Amino acid sequence: MELAILFGSFTLLLLMGMPIAFCLGVSSLLTVLYMDLPPVVVFQQMNSGMNAFSMMAIPFFIYAGDLMMRGGIAERLIRFAAALVGHLRGGLGQVNVVTCTLFGGISGSAVADASAVGGIMIPQMVKRGYDADYAVNVTVNAAIIALLIPPSHNMIIYSLAAGGRISIADLFTAGIIPGLMLCAALMTAAYWVAVRRGYPREVFPGLRALLLYFAAALPGLILIVIIFAGIRSGVFTATESSCVAVVYALAVTVMVYRQLDTRAFIDATLAAVRTTAMVLLLIGTAASFGWLMALLQVPAQTVAFMHSVTSDPFFMLLLVNMMLLILGTFMDMAPMIIICTPIFLPVVQAFGVDPVHFGVILILNAGIGLNTPPVGSVLFVGCAIGKVSMGEVMKTIWPFFGASLVVLMLVTYVPAFSLWLPSVFR
Amino acid sequence: MLDRRRNSDDRMPVLMFLSRLLKPIATLALWLAGIGVVAMTVAVAWQVFGRYVMNDTPTWTEPAVLLLMSWFILLGSAVGVRERDHIGFEVGLAHAPPALRFAMRLVVEVLVLGFGAAMLVYGWQLAAGTWGANLPLLGVPQGMSYVPVAVGGALIILFAIEKIVEILIDRGRTPPDPAGASEA
Repeated sequence: MELAILFGSFTLLLLMGMPIAFCLGVSSLLTVLYMDLPPVVVFQQMNSGMNAFSMMAIPFFIYAGDLMMRGGIAERLIRFAAALVGHLRGGLGQVNVVTCTLFGGISGSAVADASAVGGIMIPQMVKRGYDADYAVNVTVNAAIIALLIPPSHNMIIYSLAAGGRISIADLFTAGIIPGLMLCAALMTAAYWVAVRRGYPREVFPGLRALLLYFAAALPGLILIVIIFAGIRSGVFTATESSCVAVVYALAVTVMVYRQLDTRAFIDATLAAVRTTAMVLLLIGTAASFGWLMALLQVPAQTVAFMHSVTSDPFFMLLLVNMMLLILGTFMDMAPMIIICTPIFLPVVQAFGVDPVHFGVILILNAGIGLNTPPVGSVLFVGCAIGKVSMGEVMKTIWPFFGASLVVLMLVTYVPAFSLWLPSVFR
Repeated sequence: MLDRRRNSDDRMPVLMFLSRLLKPIATLALWLAGIGVVAMTVAVAWQVFGRYVMNDTPTWTEPAVLLLMSWFILLGSAVGVRERDHIGFEVGLAHAPPALRFAMRLVVEVLVLGFGAAMLVYGWQLAAGTWGANLPLLGVPQGMSYVPVAVGGALIILFAIEKIVEILIDRGRTPPDPAGASEA
């Protein structure tokens, strides 16, 4: 009965359009009231959920990415990527994928990636004769790469949702190869569609220009190195590295690129508040929800249930992937990670899956879900920029979905793609 | 019809008064949260600087940042209640018939208000209950970490009231109005 109240009220409130952070809080409160526990415990759990130092890295990484975006990094990355892969068939599509990958190493947010890169690339592609649906499809699917390439604040959310036991350095490292695989798969899909539709290629500007554009993009790209090397070597904690990222982003955009003025600085700061405060509150209320789930033995029961369904890890992972893909179609990234981790992580661990490996699987699943209606925040952003309807885009999204699903299967069934690189660094 | 118009005319000034009152409060909360982010950046940067340059890791930065973060989260998300930028599931709402949509929106806001009230009451209780002990390394009362919960709750109540008034006025404007939306 307690479980029915917890999940029932959560689902009902969600369907009624209540913000998810409050759905979690209100349903926890209702359940606690029903169970005759002191309601104060909900707020105690919420507060302790919000009291993790590593949580601070979430607003910092988003802040740093936003500063870089307003400070002119996106244009420079695009110029560099254009010189690098523009001469391939469907050149601007390839440029788009590569830029999203590079920018993902700076922002870590798929929505930021889609709006920063798509905002420039989609209109440009349409002007050069590409169909809008292709331009949007390339952008929104490539934006998912940002979730896997470090620094991805979603990896931090996952680590927090798992109780902070999983090393953020390992998670960051684990995402690199799957991220590059997704990049390669999407470039292949973009190429295939480009050939079929007869899209043009750009001229190669020459090695000199390539190096020049690389030099212009370098100050931005160094950020990736600072964060990664800093965390990996133990010089910085994840939170410290994210703060260094903010300071570095400020230094580069103010002193090197000279494109960030006071107004843009204030806008970036307030945008960081707007986009992250709610995610952090969500982590807080999810902590009370998770505490109740543990109290009601939801994870243990899910494990027992899965064991009764199958004893084959292969089949179990297929089932979990299917459930995550379905949940992903109507859940946004952060809530999806926060709610699914405490339920599914014990299950996969009981079947011997490494928590770092599962993190990559979960994030890739949730990422694919960002491009599916009814709730697909990245798809919405892309369609708004490209001025095309979601229906039109969905008609031709399949090659890109196919590419992502192939990568998802490879990442799921070949743990080495995720786990080899962290083991090298350890 | 006449009745409806009279009602909305009666209610409009209420909403205008509320917005005029709450807009500066929301802006202030947003700016305070923004200043909080900058302050947190400075504090963590100082911690790194202290450790590698001064060879003396400051111990106050981590608990201070946690305290700032609570303020940042609760002020920022209270503003989110007003500006409606919380992550929510809006498909059901968009497809519901008007009467049901009205009921859904109203219930949601009333529950948000209730949760805000609970935050205020229990946040206050937790703050008062832990005020005697000091936070380690920082020397301020432990209860300080619960004050943002209470203040955030109070702001959420205010912003939810504004939303409720707004929803009731919208209802007053949409014919037909069989039940007759009652005044809050």
